[in-house]
Amino acid sequence: MAENAVPRETVLALRDAIARLERDRPSGSCRPTLETEGERAGFSASGRPVTRSADVLPLGVPALDHAMSGGLPLKGLSEIRVAETRDAGAATGFTLGLAALCQARRKAQGELGAILWISETMAGQEAGEPYGVGLSLLGIDLRAMLFSRPRNLQQALWIAEAALRFSVFSAVILEIRGNPARLGLAESRRLQLRSVGSGVPILLLRQAGEEEASSAHVRLFVRPAPAAPFMLPDGTMLTTGIGHPAFHVVAEKTRAFSPVDAYLEWSSHARRFYPLDPVAVPLPANAADPVPVLPASVGRPGGAPALGRVMAFKRAS
Amino acid sequence: MRIVALDGVADRLRLKRGQGVAEARAMHPQLDVLPADAAADQAFLSALADWCDRYTPLVAYAGADGLALDITGCTHLHGGEKALLDDVLSRLFQLGVEARGAIAASPGLAWALARFSGAGLSGDCVIEAGEEVAALGPLPVTALRLPETLADTLIRLGLTHVADLMEAPRAALARRFGPLVFLRLDQALGHDDEPLSPRRPVAELSVERRLISPVSGEDDILGLALQLATGLKTTLEARGEGGRQFELLLFRVDGKVFRLRAGTSSPLRDPQRIAALYRERLAAVHDDLDAGYGFEILRLCVLKAESIASVQDDFSGQPDQSRALADFTDRVIARFGEDVLSIAILAASHIPERAASLQPAGDTVFPAGKRLQPEEWPVQPVRPLRLLTHPERVEVPAADVPDGAPERFFWRRTAYRVARAEGPERIAAEWWIDGEDAPTRDYFRIEDETGRRFWMFRNGLFQRERMHPDWFMHGIFA
Repeated sequence: MAENAVPRETVLALRDAIARLERDRPSGSCRPTLETEGERAGFSASGRPVTRSADVLPLGVPALDHAMSGGLPLKGLSEIRVAETRDAGAATGFTLGLAALCQARRKAQGELGAILWISETMAGQEAGEPYGVGLSLLGIDLRAMLFSRPRNLQQALWIAEAALRFSVFSAVILEIRGNPARLGLAESRRLQLRSVGSGVPILLLRQAGEEEASSAHVRLFVRPAPAAPFMLPDGTMLTTGIGHPAFHVVAEKTRAFSPVDAYLEWSSHARRFYPLDPVAVPLPANAADPVPVLPASVGRPGGAPALGRVMAFKRAS
Repeated sequence: MRIVALDGVADRLRLKRGQGVAEARAMHPQLDVLPADAAADQAFLSALADWCDRYTPLVAYAGADGLALDITGCTHLHGGEKALLDDVLSRLFQLGVEARGAIAASPGLAWALARFSGAGLSGDCVIEAGEEVAALGPLPVTALRLPETLADTLIRLGLTHVADLMEAPRAALARRFGPLVFLRLDQALGHDDEPLSPRRPVAELSVERRLISPVSGEDDILGLALQLATGLKTTLEARGEGGRQFELLLFRVDGKVFRLRAGTSSPLRDPQRIAALYRERLAAVHDDLDAGYGFEILRLCVLKAESIASVQDDFSGQPDQSRALADFTDRVIARFGEDVLSIAILAASHIPERAASLQPAGDTVFPAGKRLQPEEWPVQPVRPLRLLTHPERVEVPAADVPDGAPERFFWRRTAYRVARAEGPERIAAEWWIDGEDAPTRDYFRIEDETGRRFWMFRNGLFQRERMHPDWFMHGIFA
């Protein structure tokens, strides 16, 4: 019995090491996706092959992927909306994360994977100009990134439409402010058709805008979310630090019956999104107005809008 | 008020330049007097010079009232020297311009003949080689482009005609009047070289079409531009070059000339792509391009050419990626100008606003040449996605001193409460640029209660560099 004592100690030490390794996941509190090994190989649990369409870009966040029937549509217009200018950082990060995924996908096929970011002048002045170092740190290849600062929305739309004719772009981002009348249903339909024709996804990043009817198949509403605690290499959680960029994304308009929301974070190292457990998000102790952690209500996010605001039905929105 | 210029009718009435207007009016009450406008004259002369581009690319100003055209090697296109001069003068007459012209072997002689040859001579103002002395001799000394005082002195001495100067002893006159008199004489006779300085640089290549009936439609112009570009292709291929800058000249029937420039981000010789550039340019200048009664001559010039390696398409059927990107860039720039498209350039600096900048994408060929690549970036710092063009002042009522993060702050008239903060990241000023007393910045990454992440800095060290340092918002994180 005494001889076994040393091996048992070794075994315990090894178990401890394994436990630490298992706890030592690559990116903070990120948990692995719900995708199983079999699914990754192309088969679902029921044995049927998982249909992986070439036209969607899975985000790796099951709730959102399911709502968007597989992922972000790669052919067509998707809108990313943010309520206030000061939240523009979150929306920019989320949009660029999507663009980086598109770029990585094209690069895997041996292409250049260029990204075009068209930003209305006002949008850049209010929320800040794109910063190369930060973009590069987020995981975007700057060498294949073009920025465009058109003087007005008409030019922006022209450039976006022209870019959608070139399949060299892996994604086109069109950033606008508010709900301009010049980008109505007809214009978004044009963009949608061009995008479907060429297979270049266009992401409409709407700063400080309200929901309005458009031809986009998908509209995502992004809110900033407190970053999850960052895990240090030795396994301890760094509660005071700020971890990976985290977002609260509400899929406002999808084919799903009701809006779906999810917390997710972007790992610039792995260059992918990870779902984030909203429960794991620590609330600051002194929070007078904590972030809403409950899922969005059915029908509309954040409850029905107040009545009595619409004075005349000027627009189809 | 004095008369500075006269038209032909007034000349025949024996009015003179320098005469008082009142005196002239007293002689001829029906006189029509217009105030002189030097700027308008200059603009008109410039427009005429543009118009003269149809004869030769080398057009220079000759004084304030004339143009000099270097027609070396151009005359055969117009049927000889005499025919060319007749064509110029008759077309100008039809445009309503009273012009005189002369063709000679040197600019000085042509200048003198065009201005001072008698009425009898105006018919045959083409001076063949060897006739210079005979042509110049009878002209007054003022025909030598001498300063007025010098010419007056010569005339008072009795040297009224150029022939007198030719016969006079050179050395003595040169001692007395300086070398200019004989320099001008030699230049006029062609003994001394005198280069013309053309108004515009001569294009490396140019192709033109003269039309029997003028065109005005945009599609016609584009079709002709495509034909011209096709004409350029062979020469460009033979030279192993492609154009970086093109200019399309449109000569309107009434003499106005439009110049449309289009630059490219990489050397180009594919006619279709050149024509596509002009499709965008024409759309961009749509309202400014007044076709009037149509354009009679179209010319496509290559202003700047660079050598390109011939590229052969592969069998994949996919167009070359970087070429497609260059095509897109060129079209957008042709339409909206250079500053519409930009790329991010990284530089080796710790000051955030200097570390990355957006530069016009026009003359960058993908993949880029020598510049700092993201991998070469010295450290992997935490940097925001968006940087405010100018750091915005933030009011911080409470912050840990001397170098702690703020607890609350006001930015754009909104109050924020800091939930978490990372920092400081201390960035010292670049004293070799900003001077030695530029403040050090302490950068903090700050997350507010709802999860917005900001990048703020304290401008100056507390009580060491600034008594109460200000806070600034500089960037926004994802």
